[in-house]
Amino acid sequence: MSNYSMKDIEWAKINKDVLKSLESPRKSFWVVLGVCLVLVLIGVAAEAYQYQEGLGVALMNRPHFWQLYISNFVFWIGMSHSGTLLSAILLLTKADWRKPIYRFAEAMTLFSILTAAIFPVIHLGRVWDMYWVLPYPNQRTIWPNFRSPLLWDAAAITTYATSSALFLYIGMIPDLAICRDNAKGWRKKLYSALSMGWMGRAREWIAFRKTYVLMACFLVPLAVSVHSIVASDFAMSIMPDWHITSFPPYFVAGALYSGCAAIITLFVLLRHVFRFEEYMTTEIMDKTAKLTFAIAMVWNYLNLSEYASIWYSNDMFEKEVLIEKFTGPYAPIVWGMLLCATVAPFAMAFKKVRHNMWAMFWLSLVLQLGMWLERFQIVSPPLASNHEPWTWAVVWPGLVQLSITLASFGWFTMLFLIFCKIFPSVSMYEVKEMVFHRRHASSRAELQDLDKVKEEMIKTEEGLHHGA
Amino acid sequence: MALKRMIENWSRLRKRDYYEDSPFMWGMSIDLNKCIGCGACVTACYAENNLPVVGKEHYATGHAMHWMRIERYWEEPEGETDIDIKDGEYPERGAHYIPMMCQQCNHAPCEPVCPVAATYHTTDHLNAQVYNRCVGSRYCGNNCPYKVRYFNFFDYWKDLPSPLEMQLNPDLSVRSKGVMEKCTFCVQRIRAAKDQANDEGHPHHVEDGAVKTACQQSCPTQAIVFGNLRDPESEVAKQWEEHEVELGRHEQDKSEDLRGYRVLEELNVEPCVMYLDRVRDTEA
Amino acid sequence: MVRRRKKHLLFATYDDFEKAREVVGELKVLDLKEMVIDNIELYSPIEHPEVEEILGDIDKPIQRFTFFGAITGAICAFLLVAAAAQSMFTVQPQGGKPVIPLPPDIVITYEGTILFGVLSTLIGFFIYAGLPKSLRKYYNEKVSEDQIGIEVQMQPQHKEKVREVLKKCGAIEIREVEL
Repeated sequence: MSNYSMKDIEWAKINKDVLKSLESPRKSFWVVLGVCLVLVLIGVAAEAYQYQEGLGVALMNRPHFWQLYISNFVFWIGMSHSGTLLSAILLLTKADWRKPIYRFAEAMTLFSILTAAIFPVIHLGRVWDMYWVLPYPNQRTIWPNFRSPLLWDAAAITTYATSSALFLYIGMIPDLAICRDNAKGWRKKLYSALSMGWMGRAREWIAFRKTYVLMACFLVPLAVSVHSIVASDFAMSIMPDWHITSFPPYFVAGALYSGCAAIITLFVLLRHVFRFEEYMTTEIMDKTAKLTFAIAMVWNYLNLSEYASIWYSNDMFEKEVLIEKFTGPYAPIVWGMLLCATVAPFAMAFKKVRHNMWAMFWLSLVLQLGMWLERFQIVSPPLASNHEPWTWAVVWPGLVQLSITLASFGWFTMLFLIFCKIFPSVSMYEVKEMVFHRRHASSRAELQDLDKVKEEMIKTEEGLHHGA
Repeated sequence: MALKRMIENWSRLRKRDYYEDSPFMWGMSIDLNKCIGCGACVTACYAENNLPVVGKEHYATGHAMHWMRIERYWEEPEGETDIDIKDGEYPERGAHYIPMMCQQCNHAPCEPVCPVAATYHTTDHLNAQVYNRCVGSRYCGNNCPYKVRYFNFFDYWKDLPSPLEMQLNPDLSVRSKGVMEKCTFCVQRIRAAKDQANDEGHPHHVEDGAVKTACQQSCPTQAIVFGNLRDPESEVAKQWEEHEVELGRHEQDKSEDLRGYRVLEELNVEPCVMYLDRVRDTEA
Repeated sequence: MVRRRKKHLLFATYDDFEKAREVVGELKVLDLKEMVIDNIELYSPIEHPEVEEILGDIDKPIQRFTFFGAITGAICAFLLVAAAAQSMFTVQPQGGKPVIPLPPDIVITYEGTILFGVLSTLIGFFIYAGLPKSLRKYYNEKVSEDQIGIEVQMQPQHKEKVREVLKKCGAIEIREVEL
């Protein structure tokens, strides 16, 4: 019975397998960590240079006031979506296949928000005055302007980062207790402090489950609102091809899409690195892939309907931008996006692809590339052909922007790797629950089967009696 | 009572018509028929407003700071003409010049998007930029349909050779890196004229011609007219009336011989600058 | 000064939830007969929703925290934006825009509701789960792995009876504590 494939794992083995991932890792782990650190340092150097000289060194100009920093911001916020949102939705819909994969997905959420949060700061002209954006009482009685979507961003990101960090943490407390019971040295102290004396008492579990569900109820609408608000940065403006009503749902779909692709990437990597084959099964990959496919189609629909609505609106400026997008200097970006994010996901319609881990790995990277290009083509081409033809100019991001972009990937990977080394990246107690319930369900099913056999035997006997 | 005062404030501050009682609304009228594209206005603006001269390289990378700029558009001749267009050269004729600066929109798209309220509408109907408050999110620059906001991508003043800082205009600040700036309609001159009117005992009336913007002053053909649109006797108000350009519309419907229009009116941003269309002799 | 009566505690571990359920049943029968048990607590590596049936309803009204937290958040966020906007109006003319801007206020209120809701839910969790807590000395680390722990509090004179019941049902280990 494939439905109950994960029913026979010993609980002690689950502990052992997952805790092993916290011990000394393969050499390649340190190599990757080192590379990430170097990338981050390069990014820090680039930022220091930009801080000293001014934003001009990033090669942004007028009319390209925004470029990679903003598209990266949108990309990372988007990436953060799937983790917590999917975890919460699947929790509320009681899909038990979420259990082995939600922990690292939520960690991914947290770290991509932490990555995304860097970009609006780097992006500011006067970083040193950044705190003026915060609403704090001051002598001059000057407050930030809440009409600006940037302020909504600030509120949304603060809420989202706090809530998803807490959601991740609350969901991890029972596992931290397991770690505490098995650790020594500084780890013992860390886990003892973080698990706060969790002992698995009945009252703890009941309060825990209730809290977890309540938080999930908050996180679903929150995640949707966060990317809608990020979309408002564009949709609230007057720029042609930014001022689009369908942007909020389009952004949310895109966010889920790239987030799912990121989950698949990390799924395959963790499965390989930590030998989690027994927990991250093909069955779960299959379901994740199907979900990604469905979301990809939603995104496609919204993307195409956006083109259609621009085309039929016959708005001079928007139409111009659209034509420029597909034929102008940024055309390779747009066509690349369509190839990677619109055409490529159809590969997931095939079971063979869905069940091949490495195929899914490369496919997910392609999808993410497509979504990254999508963010770039949202920000740059409309600026290049705006209302004012005299200012039309094509600008490609310079070395500073590119190195900070690379650094952001390094930063994210670094945080994620450190997380995987310190905290269990597979939820032990939930996998146990999954095993427990599947075992019970299968034994119940077996009992029912036995009942049926018995009934049939009685019937045949009766038939025989009648015949006689 | 604080509450009572608050409600009074509300009814005073919240008015559909933008500062209806304000005696000033600075506006401009630019006759494109008179504009010869010489660029004297641009130069004057640089001198008056402490604009950095960024040099050839920075100009090429799009970091120029010209608050006032002359945009050139080329009209391609229709059918058979005696005008030659050689490859790679600009044609002899057919150029349109549009001096473009901040249009001081009444419904300015740049204002609501600023996270720190560094740009706002003054009671003079000017679109003010508070340099001290700006943190450089550049959202206003993106949201400006005319793209007339200029960002200090570098600390340009550091490049000023030694004695040249003596020629800076002391009436306004020198902006540092990371700050957005734009045309102010020479607000320092407006302020001086208003102060003088105040001293003379008529704070609500500034003589027409008492304020001249730097660009207006230096225009050899007097294409630029600047003044108070709320003063029916002012030259600019008369021109607006003559060409039947009105505020509060997003399209000016009128007969063909009237030349007035506002750039990108259909966006409903309510600019305070009227342009007078150029009449061309297509036969020549 | 009232002297606290000494309490005795037995902590037994089982390898199966069904056994634990049986033990609790037996103990309850014993309690009905002789009134020996002060308190039973169950320790488990995973959540068993059936626990409520066995131990009786454990009411954890965390949702009240959530509800009132969310409402507080909504009010605070709305007031923050409204007050900030009002304050700005007195120092900077706003060109005929509404004094209290409703659309952005709705956005910020939404986020504030969720932020405060989540935070107060968390406070509710810590209160009702009784965390943070220092680890009990008799806590058996096997409980976080795959065993079910049952903690029984009783008067010292009943200890042996309880121990018998615990043993009968197949306890792996029984720890004895005096508080």
